Amino acid sequence: MSGNESKFSSELVAKVNELWKRYPHKKAALIPAMHLIQAERDGWFSDETVADTAALFGLPDMHVRGVVGFYDMFHSEPVGRHVVRLCKTLSCKLRGADGLIQHVNERYGVKNGETTQDGCFTFKHFECLGHCANAPMMLVDDEKHLDLTADKLDSVLGGLS
Amino acid sequence: MSDNGHVTLTIDGKEATVPAGINVIEAAKQVGIEVPHYCYHPRLSVVGNCRVCLCEIEGVGQLQIGCNTLVRDGMVVNTTNERVSRMREGVMEFLLINHPLDCTICDQAGECKLQDYAVDHGSGITRFEFDKGKKPKNISWGDRVVFDAERCILCTRCVRFLDEIAGTDEISIDHRGEKSQLVVRGDGKLTSPYQMNIIDLCPVGALTSRDFRFKSRVWFMKFTPTIDTSDARGCNVVAGTRDNRMLRMVPRYNPNVNDYWMSDHGRLHYAFVNDEDRIVMPTAGGKPAPYPVALSRAQAVLEGARDEGILCVASSYMTNEELFALKGVCDALGVEDRYFLLPMGEGDDLLIHPEKAPNARGCRLAGFRDAPDDWSSQEFGALLYVKPRELIELPAEVIERCKKKVVFSLTKHASDVNIPLTTWVEKDGTMVSAGDRVQCVRQGMVYEPTLLTERVVLDRLHTLLDPAFKGASTAVLAFQRMADEHPALDGLTWLSVGLLGAKLNKAEALA
Amino acid sequence: MIQETRAMLEFADDPKQIELATYRKNGGYDAFEKALKEMSPDDVTQEVLKSGLRGRGGAGFPTGRKWQFVPKGNDKPKYIAVNADESEPGTCKDRVIMEQDPHQMLEGTLLAAYAVGATTAYIYIRGEFQKSIRIVEDAIDEARAANLIGKNILGTDFSCDIWVHPGAGAYICGEETALLTSLEGNRGYPRIKPPFPAVEGLWRCPTVVNNVETMACVTQILRRGGDWFAGLGCEGSTGTRLFCLSGHLKRPGVYELECSTDFTLRDVIEQIGGGTLSGAPIQGVMPGGSSFPVLRADELDCGFDIESVAKAGSSLGSGAIMVFDDTVNVRDVVLNISEFYSHESCGQCTPCREGSDWVRRMLKKFQTDGPDEGDIATLMDVTDKMDGTTICALAVAIVWPVQSFLKKYPEAFAEKVTA
Ligand SMILES: Cc1cc2nc3c(=O)[nH]c(=O)nc-3n(C[C@H](O)[C@H](O)[C@H](O)COP(=O)(O)O)c2cc1C
Ligand code: SF4
Ligand code: FES
Repeated sequence: MSGNESKFSSELVAKVNELWKRYPHKKAALIPAMHLIQAERDGWFSDETVADTAALFGLPDMHVRGVVGFYDMFHSEPVGRHVVRLCKTLSCKLRGADGLIQHVNERYGVKNGETTQDGCFTFKHFECLGHCANAPMMLVDDEKHLDLTADKLDSVLGGLS
Repeated sequence: MSDNGHVTLTIDGKEATVPAGINVIEAAKQVGIEVPHYCYHPRLSVVGNCRVCLCEIEGVGQLQIGCNTLVRDGMVVNTTNERVSRMREGVMEFLLINHPLDCTICDQAGECKLQDYAVDHGSGITRFEFDKGKKPKNISWGDRVVFDAERCILCTRCVRFLDEIAGTDEISIDHRGEKSQLVVRGDGKLTSPYQMNIIDLCPVGALTSRDFRFKSRVWFMKFTPTIDTSDARGCNVVAGTRDNRMLRMVPRYNPNVNDYWMSDHGRLHYAFVNDEDRIVMPTAGGKPAPYPVALSRAQAVLEGARDEGILCVASSYMTNEELFALKGVCDALGVEDRYFLLPMGEGDDLLIHPEKAPNARGCRLAGFRDAPDDWSSQEFGALLYVKPRELIELPAEVIERCKKKVVFSLTKHASDVNIPLTTWVEKDGTMVSAGDRVQCVRQGMVYEPTLLTERVVLDRLHTLLDPAFKGASTAVLAFQRMADEHPALDGLTWLSVGLLGAKLNKAEALA
Repeated sequence: MIQETRAMLEFADDPKQIELATYRKNGGYDAFEKALKEMSPDDVTQEVLKSGLRGRGGAGFPTGRKWQFVPKGNDKPKYIAVNADESEPGTCKDRVIMEQDPHQMLEGTLLAAYAVGATTAYIYIRGEFQKSIRIVEDAIDEARAANLIGKNILGTDFSCDIWVHPGAGAYICGEETALLTSLEGNRGYPRIKPPFPAVEGLWRCPTVVNNVETMACVTQILRRGGDWFAGLGCEGSTGTRLFCLSGHLKRPGVYELECSTDFTLRDVIEQIGGGTLSGAPIQGVMPGGSSFPVLRADELDCGFDIESVAKAGSSLGSGAIMVFDDTVNVRDVVLNISEFYSHESCGQCTPCREGSDWVRRMLKKFQTDGPDEGDIATLMDVTDKMDGTTICALAVAIVWPVQSFLKKYPEAFAEKVTA
């Protein structure tokens, strides 16, 4: 598919073209490509984005929709400018994740899955994020913040724009 | 060791010799043992997700699913022992914890595998004390299929059918785990011309037919094996009737014709059967007339028109037996112009046939010619016309060029003699489907007890025209008589045609 | 005192180790070069067999044997999939290799590809590990530029490409067949076996799935010899292993240790982990991730190797040792574990999809109200029926911990007596 046919930026289409070369079947590049697409489309998959993705890959819409629904990192609803993922699994829980969740609920007024009123960030409880020896921890977009305390958390979230 | 592609194994103590390469469910079926299954279907890919077909294979530690276990020589399978029963009971309980148990209002009741297996394999008690998961009910997937997410057991048969057989890939699963739920593409409406097959495939009541919804409890219905007459494919079906009205059709397995499937068009092609406007008594000169009166009037009309010529137009919805009866009448009258009408439409690579009537081949077999695109402007003394269903009609000007008219029709038709037609679910008979396959239709109902079938009516007319003629007393005998006379049918019997049909024994060019 | 034995982590503290030049200076890719030029593919497999290496992903399957399952003389392409989905609760070691010594994993991957005749390898890294993804991609680029990856590597006729493939947040994709389904661009559903991936994996071609640490071990084995590896640790648990210590410990962290029957699991927790942070007594330990049975404080005196921990009734699993002291309520702990697995069930199998949520709801009730009479027997029976009745092992990863908590902490799950 050439750039002009696609509804995506030409940079994105070029990157997807590169991804396709890595696999014997284009479909395999779907999930890597969906990360790029989600980033270009404000962090979530609207019905339109699902359709555009399906068209780019020559797949049924339903396939893409099913993939969005399966993976926790893909969103089917709008999100804030940032996504905050706080680990709540055992090692983090043992080191105070519950308290941090409560702190976020109270201080920022957002529960699991909600977005702050100013649209700054969407807060998500996540299952084990693989940094158990530095618990508790969170990811803010792609950046990780380890050995969290409420103060540390505030300084990170406070610095978001 | 067994040979030529067969293996011998033991299932629940029974020895079975079965073809190599089949799975334990199919092997067990061959020796009369039913291994319960939901997700497995012989024509769909094996996904092994329902887990209800668990079996014990001697020498294998874990229980194995019968659907994904291929038979091996010397294999010892146990499908019912205590361990298997306990685990299967567990699977049944898991399936039911979030199931609404609304059987009293469910159309599937009576044909529900969840009900069946829960009785056979369940414990009968529930220990689940929490609120059942709430999911959407009564979702319209277009004008044919209705979806109930709470009843769905996520076997994915419907997903796989549309993907692998119909090729439209319209359903997917959204979310995962216990939140998993089926969703339909785009505006949520299915588009496949085969979508209603997923209603049959659904082992529970999650997918129901809008057409059939709440019409009847299945145990009050009568089921008759016959064929779909919407096109030349002749998909094998079971017609469901109650109180002499047709309620539904579902496909009947025939590996040589339609496998397990049929088109929606065929399935829904029966409204005319129940039409309240059908005529149930002949008319002569526009006035109701009992059959003997109407027939002697027809005799007079036709004999009086012999010199000016008679046009006979048959219908490709007629059975062979009717067509041969009509042929007899034509022979007795010396009719030369014998035609039949055949509606044409779109076809596809799966089952939908472009000939939109079931028996053009039978018409040709009985010596009727395809109706010309352009009728000549010839005038006739009389028309003997068996009117096809709504899709096609004899052009009005052709009818007008015939001075007198004897017309068989479902609903009232202007004519000198009008005789009621019966539909294919009201009679026994045979048709020749695509691929020159002779198939039976069978009587499942009578629309009105007073109605006579066309074969009987035509035979009586024939006797009036030629007192030496004696018609066959039943369609079966009529078929036999036809088979004895016609080389293409030579050697076939009603029984050899049976439920699955038989090829014409010679390659006759009937297509 | 138990000491770390640093082989895989020997250079991990050097921030420059992620660069090809430093890695090569420290002996990197020498083993690969030697294998290419002086060893047959089968020699490589034999060296790995000799080492006694068992997979580090959790199941502990002998790596050399797995490679031998790949059919020979089959004209289908063959693939390697490196499992970097690292999502088992408590496990955080593969990330250390990827972020601090990525070439070590790549070298092992190339060796595995050479051994089984694979021409493409994918590193399936969980999508949340953006830093790992960046570092491994850079490492691949550098190695490709140096002709260590790609066509006719180092002038030989061996060619192999390696690509990073990011996941998107689903624990189940660490299960090897789900990983393959996901890599092909689908919802990450595990597949029914047989066929096994070594015979029919990616695009129905033979595929070897190995964990990141397993690949790092392969590098060490070919660098220092199968005998060297077999001489470390103890029988059945050879070599060194990365252990992730987490929870209520003074010194949580990732440590490279040899297994041994000479010291105990308790010794490791105390000497390496420093005992509990608060000084409160240990209440329980999950010694191999949360998928295996819990060990009570009085069950920690088993040897520190795969077999001894198995005898004690649990497993070293993925090397994730999670310790909790008596300040936490075990009902909270087991509820948290069940929440994880019910969230991560892919939802295909009836017993796992329905059962995992049922178990979670019962444990939630136990946590808030306590069990009613008969509840414990019901929960034991329900979990029994999830055991061995599903496509993949996620369901038993709920069964084992839950049943063990109920059995081992009966006082915490005492039923309300109805009058
Ligand atoms: C539910 C489940 C999750 C798993 N997650 C992982 C994982 O995150 N990383 C991993 O390496 N292996 C994981 N495994 C094990 C893999 O299925 C597989 O055994 C392993 O990748 C093989 O590599 P190895 O032989 O090198 O250990 C998981 C298994 C199951 C059943
Ligand atoms: S056991 Fe659970 S996670 Fe594994 S395939 Fe079945 S439903 Fe999916
Ligand atoms: S029929 Fe075998 S698992 Fe469903």
